[in-house]
Amino acid sequence: MPMYQNGEVDPALKALEQRQDEILRRLYELKAAVDGLAKTVTTPDADLDATSLSSAATMCASKEVADLDTLLGKDLGALRDIVINANPSSPPLSLLVLHGLLCQRYRVLSTVHVHSSVSTVPPKLLNCLGPRHADSYTRQRFQLGFTLIWKNVPRLQMKFSVPNMCPIEGEGNVARFLSRLVGLEPQDPVAATQSDSWVDTAVFQLAEGSGKERAAVLRALNGALGRGPWLVGSELSLADVVCSCCLLQTGTSATSTPANVQRWLKGCQNLGHLACIIPLLQ
Amino acid sequence: MALNLTINSSNPPLGALLTAEHVKGTVSVSVEEGKDNKLRVSEEVQFSDVNSITRYLARVAPSLGLYGSNMLEQTEVDHWLEYSARRVCGQSNLTPALAELDMALALRTFLVGHSLTLADLCVWAALKGSGECQAIMAKTGSFPHVCRWFSFLSSQVPFVSVGNKWATTKMAAGK
Repeated sequence: MPMYQNGEVDPALKALEQRQDEILRRLYELKAAVDGLAKTVTTPDADLDATSLSSAATMCASKEVADLDTLLGKDLGALRDIVINANPSSPPLSLLVLHGLLCQRYRVLSTVHVHSSVSTVPPKLLNCLGPRHADSYTRQRFQLGFTLIWKNVPRLQMKFSVPNMCPIEGEGNVARFLSRLVGLEPQDPVAATQSDSWVDTAVFQLAEGSGKERAAVLRALNGALGRGPWLVGSELSLADVVCSCCLLQTGTSATSTPANVQRWLKGCQNLGHLACIIPLLQ
Repeated sequence: MALNLTINSSNPPLGALLTAEHVKGTVSVSVEEGKDNKLRVSEEVQFSDVNSITRYLARVAPSLGLYGSNMLEQTEVDHWLEYSARRVCGQSNLTPALAELDMALALRTFLVGHSLTLADLCVWAALKGSGECQAIMAKTGSFPHVCRWFSFLSSQVPFVSVGNKWATTKMAAGK
C-alpha cells in the first residue's frame, strides 16, 4: 500500500487522524452542552435554588406534573400553552368558568391579548382571567399556560400541542377538552354521552336556535332537573357548566324560566364557579 | 344487554350505521328500520342524535379505540364530529369546508392519530351523503388529499357494505 512506504506512516494520514480526533472531541463537548440545556428545560425548577423551596411545595408540584404527563403525554420541556382565539362579541363564558377550575388544580399562567383584527375591547374582557401574575416572567414555574386572544374569528378556536393536534373549533369542544383536564367528564359511558349531548344541545339549540327551539330546550332542561339536582347523575358535570353559562349569556327572565331550571341556576351560582363571569353579564 | 338502533330508513344516518357496523363484533347491537333515529340503551336511556349515538357506541367498545387513544385525540374527534354536523351536512357552499379538510389530511392517513376513529366515520358519512361533495370530488385535481382519504376508506369492508346498502337511499332523499 502506498501509504505505508518504508514502514512509515504517511504524514497526510497522521494529520487526518488528528483532525478526526479533534472533531470527535468537539462533538462530545457539544453533546454535553446540549444534555445540560435539555436538563434545564425539562426540569421545571432546575435553575431555582432547591434549598429555598419547602419540601412540601416541591412534593406537591412534582405530583401534579406527573399527573399532567399521564394526561397529556410526555412533556417536551416548553410550557404547555392553551391558546384560545375568541370573538369579543360573544365571550366564551363556559371556558372562563373552566379556567377558574383549572387554576384550582394546576399552576396556570393566564394572559389576555387583543389581536390587531379587533379595535377596542371593554376593560372587563381584558381582566376576565383575573389579575396579572407577578411572576409571569418565570414561565417554567407554571404547569399550564392559558392564553386568551380576543380576535375577530367567525368561530372560537383553540390551538394546543400544534404538532400533534389540529386546531379545535367550537366552544363546546374546547370546553370538553378543559373538562377532561379538571376531571369533570363522567367516567360511565351513559353519563359521559348524556353530558356530551347536553353540551351539543346548548351549543346548537340554546345559543343559536330560534325562540321555539329555545323553549323546547328549556322544557327538556326542566324535565331532566325534576329527576335530580344536576343534569347528569348526582354531581356537577360539564353539562351543567355549559348549559348554565349559555342560559345566562342569552338572558333569563323570571317569567319564562321554569321552576326547576331557576332552582338549578341558583345552585350553580351558589357553588361559586360562576362568580368569575358575573361581571361580564352586566 | 343488547343495544337496539332504530334508523330513519328514508334518510339513514350513515355515521351511526358505520359505527354500529364497526362495534358489532365487540358489543351486541341490532339495527331496525323505522321513522326516527334512536339508540335504545335501556328503558330509561336512549340517544336520538347521530353524534350521541356514535359517541356512546365508541365508548362501550373502548378496545376499538374509535374515540382516540388519549385526551388530545378525543378532543380532535370531538372537533370533527361537530365539523361533520355543522360544516358539511345541510350546507350549500362546501368549498371552504373541503379546503380545510384537505389541509388537515395533507400529512395524515386517518384524520386523528394512526388508526380509524369516529372522526373518519362521521366525516366520511357526511361527504358520502352530500351530492355536492360527490360532484366536487368527481372533478379531477380538486382536493387531492380528501379524495385519497375518501377512496381509501370507501374500499374498506364496512364502508363498502354500508355504502352499498344505504347511501343510495340517502342520495335519493337528499334530492
